[in-house]
Amino acid sequence: MTDVTIEFRDVSKRYGTLVANDHLSLAIRKGELMTLLGPSGCGKTTALRCLTGYIRPDEGRIFIDGQDVTDVPTHQRELGMVFQNFALFPHMTVQDNVGFPLMIRNLSKAERAQRVAQALRLVRLEGYESHYPRQLSGGQQQRVGLARALVYRPKVLLLDEPLSNLDAKLREEMRFEIKEVVTRLEITAVYVTHDQAEALALSDRVAIMNRGRLEQVGTPEEIYEHPQSRFVAEFIGLSNFLEGYVQAVDGDTMVVSVGGLQMRIPVLAEAGPGQRVLLFLRPNEVELLRPDDPGGANVFDARVEKVTYLGDTLDYRLTFGQGLTLRVQSDAQRRFGQGAPVRLRFPRVRCWAITGN
Amino acid sequence: MGTRTADMMRFWRTHASRLITLFLLLPALAGFFGLFFYPMLLTVILSFRPEGQAIGWTLENYTRFLADPDGRWVILLTFILSLGGTALSVLLSVPLALILREKVRGHRFYRLMVLVPLVVPGLIGALGLLLFWGTRGWFNLFLLQFVPFVQRPVAVNYTMHGLIMFYVWLYFPYTCITTLSSLESLDRSIEEAGEVSGATRWQVLRHIVLPLITPGILAGSVLTFMAAFGAFSVPLIAGGNYRPLAVEIYKQISVPIPARWSAASAIAIVMGVLQVIFLSLYMRFVRRAGGTGGPS
Ligand SMILES: Nc1ncnc2c1ncn2[C@@H]1O[C@H](COP(=O)(O)OP(=O)(O)O)[C@@H](O)[C@H]1O
Ligand SMILES: [Mg+2]
Repeated sequence: MTDVTIEFRDVSKRYGTLVANDHLSLAIRKGELMTLLGPSGCGKTTALRCLTGYIRPDEGRIFIDGQDVTDVPTHQRELGMVFQNFALFPHMTVQDNVGFPLMIRNLSKAERAQRVAQALRLVRLEGYESHYPRQLSGGQQQRVGLARALVYRPKVLLLDEPLSNLDAKLREEMRFEIKEVVTRLEITAVYVTHDQAEALALSDRVAIMNRGRLEQVGTPEEIYEHPQSRFVAEFIGLSNFLEGYVQAVDGDTMVVSVGGLQMRIPVLAEAGPGQRVLLFLRPNEVELLRPDDPGGANVFDARVEKVTYLGDTLDYRLTFGQGLTLRVQSDAQRRFGQGAPVRLRFPRVRCWAITGN
Repeated sequence: MGTRTADMMRFWRTHASRLITLFLLLPALAGFFGLFFYPMLLTVILSFRPEGQAIGWTLENYTRFLADPDGRWVILLTFILSLGGTALSVLLSVPLALILREKVRGHRFYRLMVLVPLVVPGLIGALGLLLFWGTRGWFNLFLLQFVPFVQRPVAVNYTMHGLIMFYVWLYFPYTCITTLSSLESLDRSIEEAGEVSGATRWQVLRHIVLPLITPGILAGSVLTFMAAFGAFSVPLIAGGNYRPLAVEIYKQISVPIPARWSAASAIAIVMGVLQVIFLSLYMRFVRRAGGTGGPS
C-alpha cells in the first residue's frame, strides 16, 4: 500500500448526461509509468484533469502520496504536465517558459538559471534559451514542454498525448526519449494516448479505457496476450472474431462449432456444452498452407477473396466454412492470387475464447 | 510605321483588361474626389481665408484659436474626456470580457447587451442617460429612497465625470469586443499549464493572460479613443459647459450671425491634425507593446 503514489477511488465525472469518467478506480505505483489507453473521447483527459484538479470529480476521491487531494487547488498539487498541443507560453522565451514554475516558486535568479540549464540539458535543448516557441519545431517545442514539467521536480509527471501532434518518425524517436527521461529520474508518470503501439512500447502497465470506464489494467504482455474483452482485443490490434458454441468438452480441450466447422481449442473453465463463445484470432497468427498440404486438427479449406500487397507482408481476405470471413497477414514468400484455394491452420495455442462481449 | 502599330496592338493585347478596368473605375474615382477629397480641400482652403471673404490668405483663424486660453482648454478638455473615457473603458472591458468568455448561463444574452450602445443611436442613448442620471431620474430616486445618509440628489448630468461616464457607456463596446475576441483566441490549455506549474489564478492572469491579450486591448482602445475624440451629439446635449472640439466647431457655425465658417474650418483642421498625430504615436506604442512577444 505504501508504494502507491496515485489513487483514483471511484471517481466519476459527468457533463450533462454524458458520463466522461464512470466510477474509475486505479492505483498507480511509485516510479511506475502507467498509460491510460483508449479511443478519442473515452475520458482520458478528463481523468488527468481530475488528477490535476483542473476539474473536480462529481464523485470519488483522488489521492496523491496517500493524501486526499480532491479539494486541493491545482497550483498546490506539485504536478508536472505535458500537453498534446505543447501549451507553451508564446510570449516567453524558452528560458522563461522553463523557468516559469521556478519564478512562481520565488527561486532566486541564479538558482533558476542553473535549474533551467539542467532541465534543458536533460531534453537536449541547450543553446535554445533565447528562442521563442514559434521559432522551434514541434519536437523541440514538446521538449521544452517536458523540461518545463520536470524543472521543479514534481511528484508526478502527466503526459496527455504528448506525441500526437508530431510526425510519425519523430514520434517514435521521442517515445524512447520520454521513456528514458522518466526511467532516469525514477518519476511516477501517467501517460495518456490513443495509440496502442505507443502504449505497449512505453508502459510498465496499461489501463484501457472505454466510454469512461476501465476495461482492463495490466502489463503490456498481459493486455496483449490475454485481452479480457472484445473491446480490448480489438483495440490492441487487428483481430478476427468468430462466434460459435461449445459442442463437447474433452479433457483439456473442447470442440467449438463455428460456421459448420469444428475447432478444437483449450478448454475454458466456465464453458460447458452449449455455451456461446467468441474465438479470437490475430491475423498474423494464422498459418496459410497450400490446398494439397495434409489436413489435420484445426485445418480448413478456404478461398482468397482479396489480396493487398503491404510491402513485406500480404494482407488476405479469406472466406471459409459457412459464410465465415477472416483476415490473415502472412509474409510475402508464399503467395496466393485472388480466387485461389488455400488451407488454413489455426495453431491451438493461439485461439482464445472470450465469453460475454 | 508598321512596327509602331504592331507595338500598340501588342500593348493593347497585354494591358487590355487593366485599361478597361481603369475606364470603368473612372466614375467611382470622380465620385471619390467629389465627395471626399473636394470637401476636405475646401475646408483646408477656408481655414486660411479671412473670415467671410472669398479671396486672400491668413493664419489668423489658427492663431486666434490657439492663442486663446479658452481654445487651448477646449483641446485639453477633448483629450481629458476621450482619454479618460478610453482608460475607464479598458478598466471595465477586461474584467467584463473575462466574465463573458466563461460560458455561464445566458452568456449569449450578456454578449448582446454589450453591443446595445453600438446599435442605439448616440442621440437616443444620450437622452436616455440624461433621464436616468438626472436629479429626478431613477438613479437619484434609488439613492434617496434606499441609501442612508444621502440627503440630496447627486449631480451627474452636465458634470465632467458624468460626461466621461457617458462616453464609457457609449464607446466601451469597441474595447470590450476586441478584448473578448483576443481572449477567445487564447488556447485555454496554456492557462491550464500555468496552473499545473504552480501559479494561482491571479498569477496566471498577470503573467500569461494579460500579456497575451494586451495587443487586443490596445487595438480596441484605439477605436474607443477615436470614437470618443470625435464625439459630438453626446457632449452637445449632455455636456453642459464642457464643450470638446466637435461641439466647439459646431458652435462657430450655429451661434454667431453670420456663421464663422473660416474659424470653424481652422478648428476642424486642428482637430484632424491632433487626431492623426496622437493616433500615430498610439499605434507606435501599440506595436511596441504587441512586440513584447518577441520577433515575429
Ligand atoms: N468541458 C466539457 N464539456 C462537455 N463535455 C466535455 C467537456 N470535456 C470533455 N467532454 C466530453 O467528455 C468526453 C471525454 O472527453 P475527454 O476526457 O477529453 O476524452 P479523451 O481525452 O479520452 O479524448 C468526450 O465525449 C467529450 O466530448
Ligand atoms: Mg484527450
